[in-house]
Amino acid sequence: MSALGTSPERSDADAKLRGQAVYGADLSKTGMLWAALARSPVAAGHLRAIDPVPALRIDGVLEVVTAADVPDWRTGVIVSDTPMLAADYVAYEGEPVAIVVAESRAAAEAGARSVAVDIEPVEPVSTPEQALAPGARLVHPEWNRFAVAGGADIGRNGNVVAEVVHDPGDLDEAFAAADFVVEGTYRTLRQYQAHLEPKMALATYESGRYTIEVSHQYPFRLRDRVAQILGVAPSAVRVVGHHIGGGFGAKLDVSLEAFAALLAQRYRRPVRMQHTALEERLAAPCRANAITAVRSAVRRDGTILATDVEIVSDSGAYANNGPALSSIPMFVFGSIYRVDTARIWTRNVYTNTAPTGAYRGVNGPWLVFANERHMDAIADALGRDRREFRLASLARDGDLMRNGQPLEQVSILREAFDRVDDLSGWQDAGAGELRGVGQAAAIWLTNPMPGHATVKLNEDGTATVITSATENGSGAVATGLRQIAAEALGLATDQVTVTMPDTDATGYDAGSQGSRTTHVVGRAIADASAEVRSQVLDQASQMLEAAAEDLVITDGVVSVAGVPTASVTLGQVAQSVTWTEGPIAAGASYVTPTPPHDPLCATGMLIKGWPTPTYHLHQAEVSVDAVTGHVTVDRYIVCQEVGRAIHPDAITGQIQGGVAQGLGFALSERVDLDHGRYVQRTFKQHGLPLAADVPRVEAIVMEHADPAGPFGAKGAAEPPVVPVAAAVANAVADAIGAPIDSLPIRPEDVLDALERTQ
Amino acid sequence: MRFCRVRSVAEAVDELSRWGTEGRILAGGTDVMPQYLRGEQSPAVLIDISGIDGLGGISDVGGVTSIGALVTMRRLATASLIALRHPALSQAAAAVGAWQTQTVATLGGNICTAAATADTLPALLIADAQLTLVSKSGRRRIGLEDFLAGSGATALRPTELLRAVELEPLGERSSEGYLKVARRSAMDLAVVGLALRLDVAPSGVIDGVRIAMCGGDQSAHRVSAAESALLGTRLSDDPGAFGEVGAVLADAVGSAALPEAQYRRRVLPGLFDRLARRCAGEIAGAGA
Ligand SMILES: Cc1cc2nc3c(=O)[nH]c(=O)nc-3n(C[C@H](O)[C@H](O)[C@H](O)COP(=O)(O)OP(=O)(O)OC[C@H]3O[C@@H](n4cnc5c(N)ncnc54)[C@H](O)[C@@H]3O)c2cc1C
Repeated sequence: MSALGTSPERSDADAKLRGQAVYGADLSKTGMLWAALARSPVAAGHLRAIDPVPALRIDGVLEVVTAADVPDWRTGVIVSDTPMLAADYVAYEGEPVAIVVAESRAAAEAGARSVAVDIEPVEPVSTPEQALAPGARLVHPEWNRFAVAGGADIGRNGNVVAEVVHDPGDLDEAFAAADFVVEGTYRTLRQYQAHLEPKMALATYESGRYTIEVSHQYPFRLRDRVAQILGVAPSAVRVVGHHIGGGFGAKLDVSLEAFAALLAQRYRRPVRMQHTALEERLAAPCRANAITAVRSAVRRDGTILATDVEIVSDSGAYANNGPALSSIPMFVFGSIYRVDTARIWTRNVYTNTAPTGAYRGVNGPWLVFANERHMDAIADALGRDRREFRLASLARDGDLMRNGQPLEQVSILREAFDRVDDLSGWQDAGAGELRGVGQAAAIWLTNPMPGHATVKLNEDGTATVITSATENGSGAVATGLRQIAAEALGLATDQVTVTMPDTDATGYDAGSQGSRTTHVVGRAIADASAEVRSQVLDQASQMLEAAAEDLVITDGVVSVAGVPTASVTLGQVAQSVTWTEGPIAAGASYVTPTPPHDPLCATGMLIKGWPTPTYHLHQAEVSVDAVTGHVTVDRYIVCQEVGRAIHPDAITGQIQGGVAQGLGFALSERVDLDHGRYVQRTFKQHGLPLAADVPRVEAIVMEHADPAGPFGAKGAAEPPVVPVAAAVANAVADAIGAPIDSLPIRPEDVLDALERTQ
Repeated sequence: MRFCRVRSVAEAVDELSRWGTEGRILAGGTDVMPQYLRGEQSPAVLIDISGIDGLGGISDVGGVTSIGALVTMRRLATASLIALRHPALSQAAAAVGAWQTQTVATLGGNICTAAATADTLPALLIADAQLTLVSKSGRRRIGLEDFLAGSGATALRPTELLRAVELEPLGERSSEGYLKVARRSAMDLAVVGLALRLDVAPSGVIDGVRIAMCGGDQSAHRVSAAESALLGTRLSDDPGAFGEVGAVLADAVGSAALPEAQYRRRVLPGLFDRLARRCAGEIAGAGA
């Protein structure tokens, strides 16, 4: 029986359900020390002195390590702007200023609270607007001395970390020819990943090498970042991964690991660190807050002659991956819906706030929110039905995105509009007083970055996949990769095991991000399995005295086609081959080629193409309570194209979860900043949506096999979060008859909007 | 911290008098345990009363409803006697936390914590709740209004146990209800909670009004200014009267500048209108 398209049990389900799975946060070692960070209590200021004495008085505290004791260079994923410990100035509330080493966790945390940090505060640059204002104080006066990876020109300038400019130069003409202009400014807050397992690290040092045990989405990135921070070769660092209690992008870069490694070397003892609940929040690489202004030149017949987009996103105090994410607007505006020309100007700016970073669907939720609210606004201005206008404006196969990349299968979206209409007819959806319906579409990438897998036939005829692909909860590793190997080898899924990540033992893997694992690592596994299979068939053909072409493998048995009695088990083949030719194993690598594009389309662009795109249409149906302003999501439909559904239950699970996170972003979650400091500091204040706030999502999964993917699979897990806020905002605006142009949509905002319409 | 499990009211009051302010009663623990984990409370002894028989009953005592202190929110939300005689309480209990919370949270705990956002308190206030408190030296009765002494403070002495609550059931031509506004559909404290009981004479004149609310920084309380604005009007009158009462209620919240207070003020008139129409509709329906 084929392993694909069924939903076998996850390899980690039993251990996770019974509480037996060992997460990073469960680890400990004999003789282990604990360390905790003392962090800046203010958003900006000059660091005058650090007095360790109050901390050293605490029983069990061994040392307070400050900037003078650690490497003094700055590092970063793209811009080397981040010091290991702040030395002369602090740039955000929560920036590490000292490390307290202690015999126990309680002593380390008490010590960290007791370190006396003397900072002369300065007025923080708290918002992107302030950062860009003429004469604004520079968050980093020496920004010009920071190195950029690969020497890339990303348009840095003062508080501007990165600038991506796409300007064909023909906008003025287009606006002059327009019948009218539609414009809107869309504002969104940050979003906190809110994963349950806090960030942690356990480091040891032995024979000149560091070993870091961790629950991390991207062990190889971590290896390289720790090496960069400590100034050692990447090969001197080994990262061993454990079960991850949620990440959603927050566990893609280094956090505590380099501190723990440095101390493990200093003390020659294992060192363990872990964030407190408050540190989780202060140091989280939240989804960036942003302001997106969109202006379109429209002709009466509905042609969009030009769209002019200006985006400012908040990088926080350090660049992190903001410069790369600044390319993403190029794949949202002027792509799904036809526009004759577009100018897209994106700036990512420094502020004295916690650095922002990757959260599932990086930048997508707020970009699609702006794009789709804008589409509704244009349809309203034209007096056209919003769905009909979208369909009329939809790109055609072969149309180019702004980077010059052809949209090869965008017609899939047309099918999606039909499929959603079949389930909940547009004409009746959201009908009734204070009820509304909204749609939002997106094209999302499958992250192309490299992966490797070794597939080994075990001596009992089962198989093991050796890879550092990480199981971040989606089931991509715990089921998907096993199903792919099983299908390619002729085994049952439960006859395939997958290793946990270990950077010493496996080839490079670019981590759990951008839905890449099933597509990229799955492809490497399919290729390696094909090689293993051919070695198996060679051996079996000798054993069965039959030609390899005449052999079939099913459920772990090799037999001669049409002669079921002539068979050997894979176990027999493995035993035989091991002692004659040697054990069977094969490795393979994969990296998705960059799609064809125009390299000169924009300046500062680090993500050049939108590889292995998938297609998404969401529909939200809401009702609004006129008294309380409360929005209830009555019905939510997702139509998503996945290439090939390897594990259908895992896909619908990811859709349900992504929509829940999107609803939080749209309606209830708040990450406000006040003078650079986070206002909400506990889950009680935060407003994560609960089961009672989230409807059962209706998922339509479309399959259009991708020739490059393993058995046709593309990525599926990341994008369900992307169009949610847009669909909900469109539905709320429809319900109340007034625009909703900022997120989250608080009940007060709904009441305000209702008052304005009366 | 010590933990002691008592089996009877007598044992409980013994332990209470032994430990005084060092002791703390533990019922469902949904307030006590989070407070302890946050470091806000660190009693020397936790006196677990959850195993006491006889504090978990709901009964009729000569026309008055008596509810034991250990009755859980889930019981209150599902018991038919409560649904019939005290619908506001039933609705309030169903609005506490989530099912998990309701399964362990007790009425006694909600009353004794006396949080400004305690959902059951407005529903109890409109039923003129009388509390029975017991200690080694005897028992006393106190009205809930007198028991509540401002955000979190109560008239409970360290040696006392709340044993039961007595409530005046809904009359023949009366109706009541509870509405809660929170930011999420569950597991959220009330921005505002509003309870209303209306009694209507056969003539259609409203001859009894009780309005109570929770939320904000004061403890739950009756709002007499709003009550008198409605008393003596006729049900059939222009429901505009409800709007006036709503405005009085909003004023009773004060004009604190906090966003939460502004939101509370804003929703109160509409909320009252919704609740009053619902109650009036029920009475009219029952009379027809
Ligand atoms: C997740 C969560 C959500 C919540 N949501 C809500 C909500 O929506 N609305 C709401 O009103 N509350 C809510 N609460 C608060 C809490 O659940 C209620 O106040 C509950 O009724 C407390 O009852 P308990 O039995 O758990 O009390 P406990 O925690 O056991 O005790 C509470 C207090 O009362 C005292 N006490 C208890 N019983 C007696 C007694 N018989 N005599 C004397 N003193 C006594 C205790 O010493 C303690 O001081 C929530 C709590 C949690 C954890």
